[in-house]
Amino acid sequence: MTVKFTLRTCRKLFQVLFFFLFLLLFRLTEYSGLDEIPYAVNIFFRWDPLVAATVLLATKSFVSLLLPSLAIIALTIIFGRIFCGWICPMGSLLDWAGKLIHPSLRPTPSLRSVKYILLTIILISSFFELQLVGFFDPFSILVRGITIGLDPAFYLLVSGFFDPIYSYAPQWISNLSEPIYTVLKDSVLPYKQSFFLLSTLSASILIAVVAMEKLGKRFWCRNLCPLGALLAIVSRFSIFRRFPGRSCRDCQHCAPSCRMDAFDPESRRIRHEECNLCMDCVDNCVNQSSRFRFLLPDKQLQINIGRRAFIGAGIAGITLPLLSQVNAGTRLPHPTLLRPPGAAGEAEFFSKCVRCGECMKVCIQNALQPCFMESGYEGMFTPKLIPRLGYCELNCTLCGQVCPTGAINKLSQQEKKNFVIGIAVFNNARCLPFADHSPCIVCEEHCPTNDKAIKFKEVTVINSQGKSIDLQQPYLIPELCVGCGICENKCPLPGHSAIQVLSTRTTSEEDEYGLSKSLSKQKSQITFHV
Amino acid sequence: MDRRNFLKQVAVFSSGILLAEPVFRITPDLLAAEAVSPILSVGTGKDYAVLVSSVLQPLGGIAAFVKPGDHVVVKPNIGWDRRPEQAANTHPEIVKAVVELAIMAGAKTVQVFDRTCNEERRCYMNSGIKPILDAMDSRKIQCQYVDKRKFIPVTIDKGISLNKWSFYKDALQADCYINIPVAKHHGLARLTLGLKNTMGVIGGNRGKIHGNMSQNLADLNTVIRADLTIIDATRILLRNGPQGGSLKDVKILDKVLASPDPVAADAYATTLFGLKPEQIESTKVAAKMGLGEMDLNKMDIRMV
Repeated sequence: MTVKFTLRTCRKLFQVLFFFLFLLLFRLTEYSGLDEIPYAVNIFFRWDPLVAATVLLATKSFVSLLLPSLAIIALTIIFGRIFCGWICPMGSLLDWAGKLIHPSLRPTPSLRSVKYILLTIILISSFFELQLVGFFDPFSILVRGITIGLDPAFYLLVSGFFDPIYSYAPQWISNLSEPIYTVLKDSVLPYKQSFFLLSTLSASILIAVVAMEKLGKRFWCRNLCPLGALLAIVSRFSIFRRFPGRSCRDCQHCAPSCRMDAFDPESRRIRHEECNLCMDCVDNCVNQSSRFRFLLPDKQLQINIGRRAFIGAGIAGITLPLLSQVNAGTRLPHPTLLRPPGAAGEAEFFSKCVRCGECMKVCIQNALQPCFMESGYEGMFTPKLIPRLGYCELNCTLCGQVCPTGAINKLSQQEKKNFVIGIAVFNNARCLPFADHSPCIVCEEHCPTNDKAIKFKEVTVINSQGKSIDLQQPYLIPELCVGCGICENKCPLPGHSAIQVLSTRTTSEEDEYGLSKSLSKQKSQITFHV
Repeated sequence: MDRRNFLKQVAVFSSGILLAEPVFRITPDLLAAEAVSPILSVGTGKDYAVLVSSVLQPLGGIAAFVKPGDHVVVKPNIGWDRRPEQAANTHPEIVKAVVELAIMAGAKTVQVFDRTCNEERRCYMNSGIKPILDAMDSRKIQCQYVDKRKFIPVTIDKGISLNKWSFYKDALQADCYINIPVAKHHGLARLTLGLKNTMGVIGGNRGKIHGNMSQNLADLNTVIRADLTIIDATRILLRNGPQGGSLKDVKILDKVLASPDPVAADAYATTLFGLKPEQIESTKVAAKMGLGEMDLNKMDIRMV
């Protein structure tokens, strides 16, 4: 068998290569024994022009982390939507899924405009500081779905196979299975079993996007993907195009099988902005006439999303942020909603966070979890720290390192040690040395700040049996506490901890009579102990 | 005989043949009878490899403890995400010296592990212990993270306050168990030394141990009895223990002490902090249970 090395083979190789790169970077989003992650594991977000555009619009400032997105813009200006066809891991996943689930329908081309409508709503609402990109960006959906749902489930599946063998099977079987398990652990498996809130929801969104493939080839990319829409608009200026610009009159080879349905049925002209340069039509062409070459953009088909739809999208883009801002939740304090160390002030944090899940993936204690409705639907999938599940390691700075947009600032070790996530509060009605007069101070033992924030006093108390006993009772020095939550995590009481970290962050406009909005935003509410 | 019977139960339980949990029936008096005369050796020196081997000389050298073909467990304190100079974990060079001696004595395998308090990878790396052992590049050395599947529930039949807890299988089954704690301050226990280091090989909610710490530690130490205790006092943590963090709390002594008697080792190490052995509750309770000798006058103390 000979394999002809065609342009299509080339594209497939690229797809495999970038998908592998994506998985590799995903796996490398992990503590490696070094305090710094030496690779740009978040590059797929940092070169995403949609992420860059929304963050730029929402923060009205330039985030240098997102500079690589210019490279994708440049690539698109030259080659069109080659990113969608050759690079995007979501697109590749859909191509491969399509091979298995055989798209049966041919959706109407008018659905195409939905992605432009979505893009319009996302861009306009981001200008008014409602960040919706995380719900629709393909990488956010992909990474979140894998991090929060599929990856932990994969670990459970594998460990659920090997662990019972280890525990119950005869020794000689586990002697065979354990080396395999070790190899898997060192290669494809995450370091340990993690647990996430919203695991089913996150994975279901990803699975739904893949399942849409049943409705038509690349259904998501053609009709819904807002990043695809943005690249489509940019690609109208691109200079590398299919030639000839129409499908041949009587030949049924390329137009009907086009995965992006890019040929206009009436004029037979190719909608260049829909073409993702998969090269199928080049390789399948019986006349060998179809090819891609450098061409100046000529008169082309207009993107027709309809004036009414466009205006409607614009109104939605303005109304949604307004509705969000009159949500009373923005006026309420959220004492148990702890943001990651280095998180910007709440308004800026909301503008920058693209809900990618990278911070949750890298969190060494599995402490960062996705929000559900705690901060409105607008905050869904933003990270929060749940100390009872996992605390924040004092010397760890990984979440700030992997955040692609700077929603979580990258902190040095020294800055991290002084960064205040919240302040711990004792509940003496439950705390053992107070409530039960029994010795404990596990919290004091674990308190990691240098000069412990939790101290104890030696007291003599009469216990419930009427006996006088010497005891150590803990207390907190708030100025020293950074809210890492190890005390809450290690408290040996069942159920609620007797010490709880509460947020010290202010809501967006707690005091209407002081700082103006823009001022209070600049003076971001990050507090440091000096 | 009883210990062998107990180990048999451990083996049977862990291979899944029998579901009855191992029962530890040995009384403390029997343990005391097992104990050798409390000889204790103390040394000072800058070269820790030389220091460890010279401190072991009066005890008969490492060969008195490690027999050729033994599976040895070396149990340092790797509990915290701290650097060696911060004195929260056993010094990596002390660990290395002990592991090297055990291998030279013919150990088949030397396992080094601890159930950490901070994240295990950060502790193993930043304590310097995993890097130094990995650099030795010997297949006999296994510096691995604790495997959750290896904790075995043990009924401590003669325990006074603890009657059941889970223990790490490898620690129970070791032919030779060498405990190498670091000497440091601790809020609740005042000091954490050899007896408390045993908490690194137990499972469960360890916070609960704190309720009656001294008796609980003594009960745990009836099951895990160190054949040799080497206390790292090359630098000791005087305040803000057990994890410290500031070099201001650290005092450099360049001392190491060793004894086959875990209580004697703890008792002597207490004096390095300017305290009397009686001031440490866990030492007192352990001595009362017959786990060892705490009277400094009744020990054969050798300075090297």
